[in-house]
Amino acid sequence: MNREGQGDDIIIASNLVKTFPGPVRALDDFSVTVRRGEVLVIVGPSGSGKSTFLRCLNGLEEVDSGTIIIDGLPLDDNEKHRLEIRREVGMVFQSFNLFPHLNVLENVSLAQRLVRGKSRARAREFSMELLARVGLADKAASFPAELSGGQQQRVAIARALAMMPRVMLFDEATSALDPEMIGEVLDVMRQLAEDGMTMVVVTHEMGFALEVSDRVLFMEQGRVIEEGAPEQFFNTPARARTRAFLRQIL
Amino acid sequence: MQRRPGKFITSWVDVTKFMLTLVGLAWLVGRGSEQLGYNWHWRKIPGYFFTLAHGHLHAGPLVDGLVVTLEITAFSLVLAALIGLVTALLRLSSSLVGRFLAMFYLETIRNTPLLVQIFFLYFVMAPILDLGRFTAAVLALAFFEGAYASEIFRAGIVSIDRGQWEAAYSLGLSRFASYRHIILPQAVRSVLPPLTSQAISLLKDSALVSTIAVYDLTMQGRAIVAETFLVFEVWFTLAAIYLLLACLLSLLVRLVERRFGSPGQPAWKMP
Ligand SMILES: Nc1ncnc2c1ncn2[C@@H]1O[C@H](COP(=O)(O)OP(=O)(O)OP(=O)(O)O)[C@@H](O)[C@H]1O
Ligand SMILES: [Mg+2]
Repeated sequence: MNREGQGDDIIIASNLVKTFPGPVRALDDFSVTVRRGEVLVIVGPSGSGKSTFLRCLNGLEEVDSGTIIIDGLPLDDNEKHRLEIRREVGMVFQSFNLFPHLNVLENVSLAQRLVRGKSRARAREFSMELLARVGLADKAASFPAELSGGQQQRVAIARALAMMPRVMLFDEATSALDPEMIGEVLDVMRQLAEDGMTMVVVTHEMGFALEVSDRVLFMEQGRVIEEGAPEQFFNTPARARTRAFLRQIL
Repeated sequence: MQRRPGKFITSWVDVTKFMLTLVGLAWLVGRGSEQLGYNWHWRKIPGYFFTLAHGHLHAGPLVDGLVVTLEITAFSLVLAALIGLVTALLRLSSSLVGRFLAMFYLETIRNTPLLVQIFFLYFVMAPILDLGRFTAAVLALAFFEGAYASEIFRAGIVSIDRGQWEAAYSLGLSRFASYRHIILPQAVRSVLPPLTSQAISLLKDSALVSTIAVYDLTMQGRAIVAETFLVFEVWFTLAAIYLLLACLLSLLVRLVERRFGSPGQPAWKMP
């Protein structure tokens, strides 16, 4: 996986500014670096810019200023770079966003064939492997509407993994799920982390953050307030604002 | 499904009322024509559909006209759908020129009468571009209905959840691939019913091409009337044919819809 000469930092985001009409400064001089294989959890109150940051990382949203470099590739005005980065960065959404008119197998296979140019047979083979990994090999022929929320989200993870991304982004992947289904999705994510995937995870699941992450980052109003190793972050937060936030959610 | 006991009775009451209305109308027409001293010659009408000569069945002018009407409708429907789709995509594109072109086309078509458009194409553009009257008729109808079809397509496209675009983009799909494989296949479902009504409008509007002497159903009717003065019989017959065609068309689409499922119905299950 490790590409020569690219160093250990797979995501380098520097001084990102993103404003929305309003005006809202969703990202306000936001900088963060993620190492290869690291699991970074981002927490923060609603509207603090967590989703905006993830969406900027794969070019769904354009920053006003600042630079983003993913595995040595700059995300700039060049449309080719943008498409390439999107191939290398997988994203999992709160609302799953499966393609409702395609069955599970097609959902996972489509981009392999269109973007990676794989044959139908080879795409199918890899898709079945991924579906087995998320425990849904028997649902290949089902349509999204026939699956539970937890199953849909696991398909969405398999769909993103099908592109063999170097980075996976999770935007509140379990927030839309019934409590009894959260565990199955977190298990898949945990397995992924153990396999060495670089992950940026926005979540309210503090247990997951404590157990799986390498680093936790607290953001508010588009700025980094505090970051640190999970034990230190949860047990001895340095900033008063962080303590107040943790009191509220724990 | 449970059937309410009263339902059967109610529907029969409705049918009876409808029949009575029809009988009433027929009586009115009969009495009116009598007062005019109109002589009905219904027996002559079948001869305008088919004639038997030398043991062979020959198509009469009404069947010829019907074929032309169906041809014009079919050609311009396909063309109108294409024009509508392209215009909708242009309107939704990021290209300023594309959006301007689309708006210019839409405003021009929607703010001039169809009859004027037909005349313009036939008397102005056809000589310049060396088009036949049939082609001119098809083009005029296609451009006219295409403007309305584009609105339908646009509405269908923007009704697709933004998350579908984002999921497609985040997999590295291009805009074109996203449209082709993700957005348009879903938009088709919500587009189909309004597109049917558009097709029915097209069928009816096609009667206007008789004004540039295209021998469609209406033109044939006019010719027969001019020759024979069977005014009532011919126009009654023509109205009935158009009515029948329109009903068939909606029936056809109802079948197609069942194949795709109708919008608002959550399950996407295909055989
Ligand atoms: N498309 C948009 N148009 C206008 N404002 C937006 C848009 N997207 C986000 N914002 C604003 O930017 C700010 C950051 O939003 P963002 O969605 O990144 O927050 P978040 O941390 O993900 O919040 P949540 O926990 O509620 O998901 C908010 O004030 C939001 O209203
Ligand atoms: Mg969010």
